[in-house]
Amino acid sequence: MNKQIPDTIRDKHPGFADVQVGSSGELREKAQAHCLKNAHRTFEQGIQCVQVNSMNALVSLQDTVMVIHSPLGCSGCASFGAIDRLNVYKHHRGRDNAPDSHVISTALGEKEVILGGEKRLHETIDQAVKRYNPKIIFILASCASSIIGDDIDAVAEQKEKEYKAKGKDIIFAPVHCEGFKSRNHATGYDLALATLQNYVIRDAHPPKQKGLINLFATHSLSWADQQEMKRMLNAIGLDANILPYNATYEDIMKIPAAEYNISVCQIFADEYIKFLSEKYGTPYAVTNMPIGTRSTNRWLRAIAALAGKEEEAEAFIKAESDAVREEVARIKRKTDGLRACLTAGTGRGFAAATLIGDYGMKLLCMHTPYYDEAYIDDFKRLEELHGTDFIVNIADMQPYEQVNLLKKYKPDVFIGMSNWVSRLGIPSFHILDSKRPTFGYRGVLYLGRKIEDALDNNNFNKNLSNYSKNAYREEWYKKDAFSYLQLPEEN
Amino acid sequence: MEKCIERPRNLCSLHGALDVIGNIYRAIPILHASPGCSMQASSRTNLYYLGGYHGLPSSNAYEKEVVFGGTQRLRETIKGSLEIMDGDYYAVLTGCSMGINGDDVDSVVKEFEASPYPIASIDTAGFRGDTYTGYNMALLATVKKLAKKTKTDPRLVNIYGQPPSSDITLRGDLEEITRLLARIGVKANTFFIRRDGIEQLKNSGNAALNINLSPWLAKNVDTYYKETFGIEPLRFNDWPVGPKDTATFLRTVAERLDLDSDLVEKVIQEEELYVYEYLDSLFGNFERHRFILVGESAKALGLARFLVNVHGHIPLAIIFTDSVPKQYQDSIREEVLKLECPRKADVHFENDVWEIEQLAQKYDGRVTLFMGSSYEKKLAQKLGSHFAITSNPCLDKEILNRSHIGTHGCISLVEDLYNHF
Repeated sequence: MNKQIPDTIRDKHPGFADVQVGSSGELREKAQAHCLKNAHRTFEQGIQCVQVNSMNALVSLQDTVMVIHSPLGCSGCASFGAIDRLNVYKHHRGRDNAPDSHVISTALGEKEVILGGEKRLHETIDQAVKRYNPKIIFILASCASSIIGDDIDAVAEQKEKEYKAKGKDIIFAPVHCEGFKSRNHATGYDLALATLQNYVIRDAHPPKQKGLINLFATHSLSWADQQEMKRMLNAIGLDANILPYNATYEDIMKIPAAEYNISVCQIFADEYIKFLSEKYGTPYAVTNMPIGTRSTNRWLRAIAALAGKEEEAEAFIKAESDAVREEVARIKRKTDGLRACLTAGTGRGFAAATLIGDYGMKLLCMHTPYYDEAYIDDFKRLEELHGTDFIVNIADMQPYEQVNLLKKYKPDVFIGMSNWVSRLGIPSFHILDSKRPTFGYRGVLYLGRKIEDALDNNNFNKNLSNYSKNAYREEWYKKDAFSYLQLPEEN
Repeated sequence: MEKCIERPRNLCSLHGALDVIGNIYRAIPILHASPGCSMQASSRTNLYYLGGYHGLPSSNAYEKEVVFGGTQRLRETIKGSLEIMDGDYYAVLTGCSMGINGDDVDSVVKEFEASPYPIASIDTAGFRGDTYTGYNMALLATVKKLAKKTKTDPRLVNIYGQPPSSDITLRGDLEEITRLLARIGVKANTFFIRRDGIEQLKNSGNAALNINLSPWLAKNVDTYYKETFGIEPLRFNDWPVGPKDTATFLRTVAERLDLDSDLVEKVIQEEELYVYEYLDSLFGNFERHRFILVGESAKALGLARFLVNVHGHIPLAIIFTDSVPKQYQDSIREEVLKLECPRKADVHFENDVWEIEQLAQKYDGRVTLFMGSSYEKKLAQKLGSHFAITSNPCLDKEILNRSHIGTHGCISLVEDLYNHF
């Protein structure tokens, strides 16, 4: 099969780094001069992998079965997390009785690792067809399956022929998402979308449908966030199909028919959207996540420019800004001048950093997993808000560094995944919320109130800090937070 | 594994090992694995000391390490872990990729012999088995590394056999069994959760008796303690649930430890009366159910015995979800046959959600109470049956210290059986 979109990894992006540290100004200048190189952490803590994101991007699609070709461990996130996340989403949409997602693990054991797992994969696929007769069967590779050399493409092809001969028109879509494939786990999203194009859409060339807009968004969005984005688009006379979460086969087949393509952030589907522009001529806008008024306005304006709705967008922005002004100002009286540290995925991190600007807070340090020359402008915008000195720690979490840094900085508030920060007694909260609105103007108020609540009552963290300690030696806190980071010159 | 599994409720052997090490307070697991293992294989385990999988030391091996070897990455990771992570025991565990590529992990770990901290090396690469394999492996390796004997304490027992993450009421259960034994003057090492877990492990060689609650797990641990410290194992087929089995449990332990039977009988009487005060207060509003129970053998057998022999329900079917090897399945069937009701329950060994649904369809129209994990909730609704959560995984709510075993625990269970609709 001649893949329209070949497998690529995001590591190849110019200026890609997943291990680096410096002030925002320093890193940006290096990136602008094309000499930002990846560093090396000699000590690391746990990180996500490519496969988890491929799984998350595809598991919610309707009338499909996901076969995870691996030992049992690689079904952890799907079995215990993703399927239930979909249940929460369906519940919010009043679709409690809609079918669950189906995930079947090939459960490879020692025998399969030694003798090969393709026979087990055949058997598993047969079970998937027997049980559910789905439209699409995804086959996800794993570290184990790829190292032992199981050819999931060949099995997919064989199965397609086999079932066609029996009169069943099932699509078999392999995804080469083994965990060690890329240092950037967002590659998992690219692989998933490429699989949809390569195996599902294939050569389909549907006529353009006026008014159809594809909005590519991640699984981590709440229904409330989807509703807010739709509300904003509807207000300027547009509507969008949010993909690929819980999409049907028909939704996927209509992707090339869209008049415009937009995305929820600069990372998710950015490469696929460029491909759609090349192959189908679909104009697109890839901007930033609409969190906070500044980022929301940028996002909306970019879409409005695509569709010639600039006037409507400005009117909407004015009306919405007026509507939230008083409450934002009220909350800002409590938050103005507060020093904040932030941890988030790249897209969400940039947007969150602008939100805290809305509330007059000053960014001290930002943890985000990846740097890329494509983000230079994003960092420039943050520097306009917060100055060039804030520390940017390019790290996929690595709480040992975060806790060390936070103990030294003692910020007034922390935004992000905060298990270890709560134990320091610092007011903290998550910006990621799978149930409530964090996007758009509704999100501005929801998050602002969340910040205010965290500041007004920090009793949980304060008291917890008396009874719970983080798992680091006292000696570690005396050292520099980046003692285990080898910069490129030293390599 | 034998065959594919839809929506697994147990994971790989690395998961089982992380479950053991992570649940020991101040034990530090160190992963020699590719990215993703830390997140996926730690699902539903308790890494709260570390702050979740993000805090779990990991060599994060990429293609370079797969092809050319990852021992240098492992060395750096162990070195950093010992310097930064504040622990009393460290255990190096492998993931699939570093298990297949032939890295000599034991040799690298041996380089750190001089460290004042005990470091175990456990080859848990995911494909070696499932959660239960990992539990057996990691518990034995940990006991081997830590357990010492100074002087036997005639009132000290070790309790094990339950993989932590697959008991949804683990903390409450361990607290309840500790409480019951304390009432008869016996101190219990439960190893997990409590903040003196490592001290308990170190001291475990001094126990007078080992209590293994599983019909098939941790026999390797039984053998090790017996051969090394002369500690005899007392094996039960299940957790003691409810007044009857709690009484048997306490009497059996008391007899083995040669305790004062008057004290034991007094405690038993008080515990039994405690349960009946609550059951009595239901004003005889006993709602008899015909039930299906889906869960692990040790817990499911214990619950079934309480539900049938004490509380008086009719057992329709019990589906055991743990990977019970063929040679132990018959004795488990025997236990189900012994339930005190002339109507005998069907017995199945299955953990695939679709297969379980097919098995359960047979009871459509007859089953009124369905107990299992969150995976079974919708199935219960489909069968028009009341649902109570008893098994792993519990995705619906937080369970902190409630128990389902002993005397206090059976009362919590009874609370869930009453349906006001």
